[in-house]
Amino acid sequence: MKKHYLLSFVILFAVVLASCAPAAAPAEEAPAAEEAVVEEAVVEEAVVEAPVCVETVCEDADVAAVSAADVDAACAADAYGCAVIDAGQTVKIGMSSPMTGGYADFGIDAENSGLIAVKDACGYAGFSFELVAEDDEGGAEGGAAVANKMVADPTVVGIAGPLFSGASAAGIPIYDAAGVPLLSPSATNPPLTAMGSAVFNRVPFTDDAQGAAAADYMFNTLGFTKIAVLHDGETYGKGLATIVKSEFEGFGGEVVVFEGITVGEADYTPILTTISASAPEAIYFGGYSAEGAVLSNQMKSLGLEDAVFFGCDGTFGADYLSLTGENGEGSYHATPKEPPATDTKANFDVCYESAYGIGPVVLSPFSYNSYDCTSALIAAAKDASMLGEDGKLYIPRGTMVDAIRGLTDYTGISGTYSCNEIGECNVEGPQFWTLTGGEYVKAD
Amino acid sequence: MLPNDKTKSSLILRNILKYIRPIFGILVAVYIIWRLYLVFIVQNLYGPETWTRLLISGLIIGGVYSLIAIGYTLVYGILLMINFAHGEVMMTGAFAGYFVFEAAKSINVPSVGNPDLVFANAYPVLSILIAFIAGMAVSAAIGYFLEKIAYRPLRKAPRLIPLISAIGASIFLQNAALLLFSPQTRNYTNPEILSRGNGWKILINGSNVTLPYTGVFTFILSILLMVALLFLVKKTRLGKAMRAVAMDKDTAALMGIDVNQTISNTFIISGALAGAAGVMWGLHNGMFHYFVGFIPGIKAFTAAVLGGIGNIPGAMLGGMLLGLVESIGPTALDISYQLKDVISFVILIVILVFKPSGILGEVLAEEKI
Repeated sequence: MKKHYLLSFVILFAVVLASCAPAAAPAEEAPAAEEAVVEEAVVEEAVVEAPVCVETVCEDADVAAVSAADVDAACAADAYGCAVIDAGQTVKIGMSSPMTGGYADFGIDAENSGLIAVKDACGYAGFSFELVAEDDEGGAEGGAAVANKMVADPTVVGIAGPLFSGASAAGIPIYDAAGVPLLSPSATNPPLTAMGSAVFNRVPFTDDAQGAAAADYMFNTLGFTKIAVLHDGETYGKGLATIVKSEFEGFGGEVVVFEGITVGEADYTPILTTISASAPEAIYFGGYSAEGAVLSNQMKSLGLEDAVFFGCDGTFGADYLSLTGENGEGSYHATPKEPPATDTKANFDVCYESAYGIGPVVLSPFSYNSYDCTSALIAAAKDASMLGEDGKLYIPRGTMVDAIRGLTDYTGISGTYSCNEIGECNVEGPQFWTLTGGEYVKAD
Repeated sequence: MLPNDKTKSSLILRNILKYIRPIFGILVAVYIIWRLYLVFIVQNLYGPETWTRLLISGLIIGGVYSLIAIGYTLVYGILLMINFAHGEVMMTGAFAGYFVFEAAKSINVPSVGNPDLVFANAYPVLSILIAFIAGMAVSAAIGYFLEKIAYRPLRKAPRLIPLISAIGASIFLQNAALLLFSPQTRNYTNPEILSRGNGWKILINGSNVTLPYTGVFTFILSILLMVALLFLVKKTRLGKAMRAVAMDKDTAALMGIDVNQTISNTFIISGALAGAAGVMWGLHNGMFHYFVGFIPGIKAFTAAVLGGIGNIPGAMLGGMLLGLVESIGPTALDISYQLKDVISFVILIVILVFKPSGILGEVLAEEKI
């Protein structure tokens, strides 16, 4: 009896395991394959050939070596010293983003874009660049842990991140002390550039701009006068929600409830019930798609069927769409403004899709920003590099930090950046999108 | 000067210490009554439909916690061991149920009126039954191996060591699930008769209050499982063996009870309960991922302690109480919703101060039957 018991459990377990892992993969790939097929069919009607990713042809330009004395002088004069990359090592650009957990889509998307940027940038003086993406789980503890790891690696010369504001706030002091420049594609919390950091720079709009735009859109365009504002208690979410509340009240609107929810819970019905007692026309949520999806799903059965769910750049993405399905219809989200339609952008779109099976700006709104940040860091590294006579590459860290802070008219896919003295390099934004018919559609 | 000295000042000190507990209790009670008065009498912001909704939410959240707490309390009652990996065992049950529903969703059984009919909707009761059986079986197996690998070798060790082993097993199971199933959050596709968010609609005060189908199912399931477990423990031979092992392992062995087999059976049953909780979690909440067992595991542990750990009806009571406090507490006391855990834990502290063994307090084996 004992043996049968045990054996039957083991067999059952094995059967379940065997059926699950392969089943998961086809289920995930099926929608992507369908999308690709549909896209190709549409393209074939218009163009004779399907667009192909045009990869950059790398030329190995000769770089003159700098004398040892000059190298020593430059490195000694630099406030942070030089990063020394031995022959055979790669020059590393780091990434600090959530790669596991509910926010993984953001990190995966950033890594995808970053890898394309590294491939497009080619090498320098025989040294190639490498992207090192580490998981910071989107929070302060992870942000600090990844920061310590990055500064401990002497070949890391810049970070295309951190992606999340919470991780940025924790990591900035560590990166500041080591002189590693940061160029974030997505950290929008306003106080980050007020911390007095010499190394932190960011490309997206700040939440001041996003909050004001959202309040304006809700009050003037959608005509709401009574809303509830929720946030997830994190740096980004709470900051954004506070701004929206004050801006909306400044317009003359009424914020009936301003509350924080706990991240990671599965049941927000109590707070939604309390909100429904005040009958707001919309619920603004500052936070990420994982919690936003739960809120949207549970809103519908609590007397809030007519209330509009207004999200932010943190709730935009495939994750929210797949988790809410019908319940997400009519919700609003934000992204940076759509980049101008250039050949570079079109080529990037094709390269991204052919490499990963889905398009950019599907998993997260910051695909183009991540590409631009990684490319800008690599370009600055190339400019600052000195090839020593001993075959090693010397990159003065202070020069890199100043180069990123001093970015002027750098043309990336998502626009032209110029960073000001506190590290704001903002492109325009935000652009609002609404979920209609199972798709994100630009909202006017 | 220690309070045990028989001097006048130490006597005063002892008196003060004697009265701290009642004073603390009275302070908390006064605060709660004052807040309730403010909310209900003075402000009177919320109508009966809001309170009904909050009550329903509370009972459902409580039902979910109870389901998980029952398994926790069983293992503690028999072995005096806190199985921190219980939440992860529940998570594996959720995954197993998910794959059953995915399979049921993809099998096409076209009928005359409906060419797209899938197995899950053609035979919903059967699909749900299979999902529960699969979830309970997988979780029971995980529970069995958990005991065999992580706890049995440490049976003679001091009480703290299996606890650390349990935490390690919990982390191991989380990361195993992460590696096997990817960090992606998955969604249950319920059969249509049990779809999430739908329920019976009650008209209160002009507003439609929904009593969700999945919520009622959760509540009834937790009561059923609790009753079944009580029956098992009190009326069957296996239950008798479990109680005997709980009282005194060595004497039980002398009486001819196979201690190893009994303990394994305990973990198998506890695992099966966790599996049922996992599948129910998926049906009711929809979303789950590799980390889903962690917070509910801690909450369920709190609920079990609240009701009296080792006591099965206590786990149910503690779960319900915790759910109700989390749901109604912030609104009834006019405290920020973000502080709901603070309220729950203050209530826990108050109850433990006055009754350290929890509300129902008695450990399973020592009941006077």
